[in-house]
Amino acid sequence: MTRSLFIQSVVFGILSGGVYALLASGLSLYFGVMRIVQIAHPAFLFLGAYLTYSLHNRFDIDPLLTMPITVPLFFVTGMAIQRLLLARLRDENAAMMSVLLTFAIAVVVEGGLSAVYTGSYRSIDVEYAKKAFDWFGVRIPRDRVIGLVVAGATLMLLFAVLRYSRYGRSLRATMQHPEAARLVGVETERVRAIGFGIGMATAAVGGAVLSIITTFFPSGHWEWIARLMAIIVVGGLGSVGGAAVAAFVLGIIEAVVQSWLSPVWAGMVFYLFLFVTLIFRPQGFFGGRLAQRY
Amino acid sequence: MPSAIDASPRSQTGQSGVVAQRRRQAWNYVAVLALVAVLAAGPVVVTNSYYRYAGVLMVMYMVMATSWNLVGGFTGYVSLGHAAFFGFGAYCTGIIANESRTSVILALLATVGICAVVGAVIGIVALRVRGSSFVIVTIALVYMGSLLAQGLRSLTGGSGGLDVAGLYSFSGRAARHAAYIVTFAVLLGVVMWLWNFIDGTKFGMGLKAVREDEDRAQSLGVNTTAFKVVAFALSATFVGSAGGIYATWTGFIDPIFVFSVQISAQLVLMSLLGGTRSLWGPVLGAAIIVPSSEFFLVNLPEYHLVTMGVMLGAVVLLMPNGIIATLRRLWVRRRAPAASIREVAGAVGA
Repeated sequence: MTRSLFIQSVVFGILSGGVYALLASGLSLYFGVMRIVQIAHPAFLFLGAYLTYSLHNRFDIDPLLTMPITVPLFFVTGMAIQRLLLARLRDENAAMMSVLLTFAIAVVVEGGLSAVYTGSYRSIDVEYAKKAFDWFGVRIPRDRVIGLVVAGATLMLLFAVLRYSRYGRSLRATMQHPEAARLVGVETERVRAIGFGIGMATAAVGGAVLSIITTFFPSGHWEWIARLMAIIVVGGLGSVGGAAVAAFVLGIIEAVVQSWLSPVWAGMVFYLFLFVTLIFRPQGFFGGRLAQRY
Repeated sequence: MPSAIDASPRSQTGQSGVVAQRRRQAWNYVAVLALVAVLAAGPVVVTNSYYRYAGVLMVMYMVMATSWNLVGGFTGYVSLGHAAFFGFGAYCTGIIANESRTSVILALLATVGICAVVGAVIGIVALRVRGSSFVIVTIALVYMGSLLAQGLRSLTGGSGGLDVAGLYSFSGRAARHAAYIVTFAVLLGVVMWLWNFIDGTKFGMGLKAVREDEDRAQSLGVNTTAFKVVAFALSATFVGSAGGIYATWTGFIDPIFVFSVQISAQLVLMSLLGGTRSLWGPVLGAAIIVPSSEFFLVNLPEYHLVTMGVMLGAVVLLMPNGIIATLRRLWVRRRAPAASIREVAGAVGA
């Protein structure tokens, strides 16, 4: 493997790490507010990509400018799913049952997508995404850079909201100790619903990004769920920052292995890290003991 | 009043509970034998090749759902990774039969042993986490299997699939299906016998203690890790064996199909629908899901996934304890009022 190829793949890894980080942050958010793993997250990511595709084809809207439509739509859908479906699971076995329920949602979304759009590959071609930057002999595709910028901006916005807004404070309180938060007057049910909506909104943003950087097909989301799960376990369940770091690290290793060996072994990277983490540090590298319990 | 005394022998449930449990188990053995006999005799009545094919699928899923329930029902650990063992067993049988040129039966026997060892090793790693983390890990197992099957091209034939020799040398398709119905029915008898046997042992008690409160079980001296791993390995062995037999039945392994989370999800759906606490739950679930799933596959192919997802969601939300527990509750409610405490107390007071 030559040096320039190595640098090239590291750059690619960073670029895809941004998208991974954005999606993993959504998963961490769901886990934080509800203690559940949302298997359907990547299915909604793909739903977002297909909606972007349809809006682009039908009304000729730029893929990134579809976000003002898809993001609010997904936000409301997320709140509805939390209120109408997940909040009903209130027994001691809620952790397992919620996984099964979100799994069922994922299957329904996938089934709907393949019924409407058929199983074939789709992609969006936009003028600005075709070119590439040439940076000291390393080719950097422009669509990936745009993806990273959008993902990074959304992540920063998310962090700012969590850190500095009044809502962010009640959300963090709900994550840490729901009963105590309720005692001091936080409406935890509302906070949870909104948190779920925000998580879904990140899937809408991710969907728009996905639609310009790659091709997509209805059953493609399973591959993503396995990768994202590995990322949030390595980062430590419930740790938004940990998930972001793990996303970049695993994204880079994946890209290097992909150009060095083959895409098949690049996929294995995620599972290897998942299992190594579970054997030696089940709580992940940034999470607390929480992860082992849920 | 004598009637009040008659109505209150429930105070001594300690003894009679054990006796009732023993009696139920004994009846279960008889009923399992009867079920195996009925299923194996099925092909005598059903001669249509397609219906026999659906019958093989149904009995195969009965085997796998009951095996899944060895972990899911006793310990409460929900695995979405059993497709990994299904695919592993299929490839194991196929590769051994193809590479070593031994008989298919020997390859199947070797598969049983290998699946037990691999199941135990994977169990040791995967069972270090609980709850949703465990589910995640099991999902990852399926994708690891799929990637390995497509990556190790020289052994597995890559994404093109693998041809496997048949177990029986019947020429007609319908006759072959009949032979496999009998094969899977015998395996079903073994798995159900094992489940019923474990149900009454100390080992079974330990597993159920894990389900109710793992930390407390551990602090009371149950070796929870060893118990869970043994249950997981047993479960993996039977699902792997079913996978091996499946490979010899269809004569071809498609890596995308055998390593799909949908297969795992079907097992979960069947077990939950029937009821995970009962020996008969997964069997009942498979008897409902396989025919209806075939029906949708034939009549509404494009909505097959949607219907499966809606069914799973509905079961989780509306009937997480399953049909059997729901029916039992209805039955008890209709029959029990005489034994209600308030009435007994009222009678004593009078």
